[in-house]
Amino acid sequence: MESPQIEMGAFKANGPQGQNGGLRSTSSMVQSLNPRRTIERVLRSIRIVIFTSKLNLLLPFGPATIVLHFAAKGHGLVFLFSMLGITPLAERLGYATEQLTLYTGSTVGGLLNATFGNATEMIIAIYALKNGMIRVVQQSLLGSILSNMLLVMGCAFFVGGIVNRNKDQVFSKATAVVNSGLLLMAVMGLMFPAVLHFTHSEVRQGASEVSLSRFSSCVMLVAYTSYLYFQLSGRSNVYSQIGTEEMPNEDVAEEDEEAEIGMWESIIWLAVLTLWVSILSEYLVNAIEGASDSLNLPVAFISVILLPIVGNAAEHASAIMFAMKDKLDITLGVAIGSSTQISMFVIPFCVVIGWIMGQKMDLNFQLFETATLFITVLVVAFMLQDGTANYLKGLMLILCYLIVAASFFVHVDPHSSDG
Amino acid sequence: MMGAEKAELGLEGEAAGSPLPATKMQPLDFEHIGPLATVVESLSGRSKWRRALTSVRVVIFKAKINVLLPFGPLAVMLHYLTGKHQGWVFLFSLIGITPLAERLGYATEQLACYTGPTIGGLLNATFGNATEMIISLYALKNGMIRVVQQSLLGSILSNMLLVLGCAFFAGGLAHPNRDQVFNKASAVVNSGLLLMAVLGLMFPAVLHFTHSEAQYGKSEVSLSRFSSCIMLVAYASYLFFQLKSQRSLYSPIGEEEETSEATEDEEDEKEITQGEAICWLFVLTIWISVLSGYLVDAIQGASESLNMPIAFISVILLPIVGNAAEHASAIMFAMKDKLDITLGVAIGSSTQISMFVIPFCVVVGWMMGQQMDLNFQLFETATLFITVLVVAFMLQEGTSNYFKGLMLILCYLIVAASFFVHVDPNSSDNK
Repeated sequence: MESPQIEMGAFKANGPQGQNGGLRSTSSMVQSLNPRRTIERVLRSIRIVIFTSKLNLLLPFGPATIVLHFAAKGHGLVFLFSMLGITPLAERLGYATEQLTLYTGSTVGGLLNATFGNATEMIIAIYALKNGMIRVVQQSLLGSILSNMLLVMGCAFFVGGIVNRNKDQVFSKATAVVNSGLLLMAVMGLMFPAVLHFTHSEVRQGASEVSLSRFSSCVMLVAYTSYLYFQLSGRSNVYSQIGTEEMPNEDVAEEDEEAEIGMWESIIWLAVLTLWVSILSEYLVNAIEGASDSLNLPVAFISVILLPIVGNAAEHASAIMFAMKDKLDITLGVAIGSSTQISMFVIPFCVVIGWIMGQKMDLNFQLFETATLFITVLVVAFMLQDGTANYLKGLMLILCYLIVAASFFVHVDPHSSDG
Repeated sequence: MMGAEKAELGLEGEAAGSPLPATKMQPLDFEHIGPLATVVESLSGRSKWRRALTSVRVVIFKAKINVLLPFGPLAVMLHYLTGKHQGWVFLFSLIGITPLAERLGYATEQLACYTGPTIGGLLNATFGNATEMIISLYALKNGMIRVVQQSLLGSILSNMLLVLGCAFFAGGLAHPNRDQVFNKASAVVNSGLLLMAVLGLMFPAVLHFTHSEAQYGKSEVSLSRFSSCIMLVAYASYLFFQLKSQRSLYSPIGEEEETSEATEDEEDEKEITQGEAICWLFVLTIWISVLSGYLVDAIQGASESLNMPIAFISVILLPIVGNAAEHASAIMFAMKDKLDITLGVAIGSSTQISMFVIPFCVVVGWMMGQQMDLNFQLFETATLFITVLVVAFMLQEGTSNYFKGLMLILCYLIVAASFFVHVDPNSSDNK
């Protein structure tokens, strides 16, 4: 079929047409049904997707987890292995999404990115929700925001600053300010139920927070939809430098994004990877309690610090890479965009799903985490305002993250029944 | 800070030295001209005496602030003669330390002229807040942990509100026709760093107040110690970064006064020799230590006899001493329309206290076995965070006028009043 063309890095023009047989006749369709061809294509696809990424060395940890789970039931190891196993899958999921967006238009591509960008966090959160581990959900999502703002940005600034040692790196102040303003508003929307609870002023203790949280979540989802609409409708041309939805022409032109795999292949891979991530997430979530005991770490620490590492691994790597190439706008877009998405979409979505499932998931993060989140977002938003970055700033962010991590290490939930 | 004072001396010698030419020549006569004869001369008793006297004259009698010097010995005498009247002892030692702190700054600058920019920067960074450090270490030794926390926090508040406010106010009055401008970029960068430093300091306090530490009492201390080590690492990299990047971006901020701008502009005169500078550094430090000992011992008694809460004394009165020199130089630079240096002094000093002095005190307390931690009380923590945030935000605009200065001063008065009616929830910590 069109395999030779695809192999040579077929470009967008050829891809869709060729695969759907737009230009050829029935003969190609007959050919495509040929089993040998299919196997060839499958093998090549596997080769491209699996073997070209170095991160995939971690792939065997996935099956190893399952084996361990059934064999030894050593929770600490199961937890660690599944974490290591999910990481490459999350990264490949991002890759497959990118590839797919090359085929779809920019609109659908943007939506895809927005949805699948945090797919890993969502899957983990939903499993935890199913198990009734509400605190784990809250903490892991909050930790993901913290990790994005402090660790990912810090590492990116630090590495970028060292690589470009001779000058301060600059980024578009306007976009950074706008994006951090949005994030701040999203965080504000999330915080009110918690503030209500901690000023002990809710009408019906316990019940009002949940209702308020559900209401706020619906409002946040509406906000998110309009945010997407605003970004995708081209109105945000000013923000086109932020490569969150990776379809700005800049990105495509500069990085020579070739559709490395066909559209259907991407879709299939998307499905396969999501399935794999789900399976491993289940083991991961089930092992949290046991891991906390055997590794002697507080559950809070595991949820806030360790779990987000998995979800953010792909963004982490790409943010650092873009910073090294002196494309800080994209880095900021990745980091802030991901945080905004989590606060405006994933968290409210989990509340709604919890509502549907009958779980009492609410936005009532504990006071410490709420204060930490607010302070962090405020400080980072402030720090981004001058439009420059250097390795000192990156180092400071990383060190702040270490302090936050250490605080969670000695932190126990006041209501440890949710542990 | 240091750069400011050096500049102060260089430019007009307002505070020090009218007969500049004569002073300048002294070192030349004795050190740089002539062979063995000078060496022999310098070793001769009489000329050594002369040099010592000259040095004393330059260092002590040139600065107008040194009229306060006699208060130091007075404080000591009072302490031994009466044994009570702690209020007076406290006040006198307070007044007595002030000129010493200023001269310490002067001696550091002078020394920094001789060493290279790197060591000069390090010197400034270390001795810049020497007075605060010495007072804190004494208080720590006495187990007065709250005093340490409050005095250092008060020093940051004083820098951000009082020093900046007075500088903006005085500068605004001196230039009534227009708004003064300063370099927005460096102000924002510096306040961003300060904000991050304050962030690092706050987490143990936040942890405590959300009542969520794992082992009540113990984990705050461990977390504080861990955070302090991290902050010290951050400070070291901050120094490294500043000293490595002598870039024009930051040179208007005269914090490391070795930047060529500062040097050229202000005609660094070496008024005393290197050896003399080192000697003076020692002498002044020893004097300050002695007086600080009396100061700290008198705090309790002063609080009772003067009828003021200890919190007020620690947060408002003690920092006046440490900040006196910076205060004076910040105002002077604002009047000369060099707001960048003023901001560098104020923000730089605050950053140094939060990134270096406070963590250093925690580590020293660790070594001493004192349970010093970063757990400032909720009121102070909230005050600090809000203040730094608001001032950092206000600096973003890049202009200043006397009204802004007045607002800052008034805010400081409100903060001071709050501490006047503030008691610690755990008043057993008051020691």
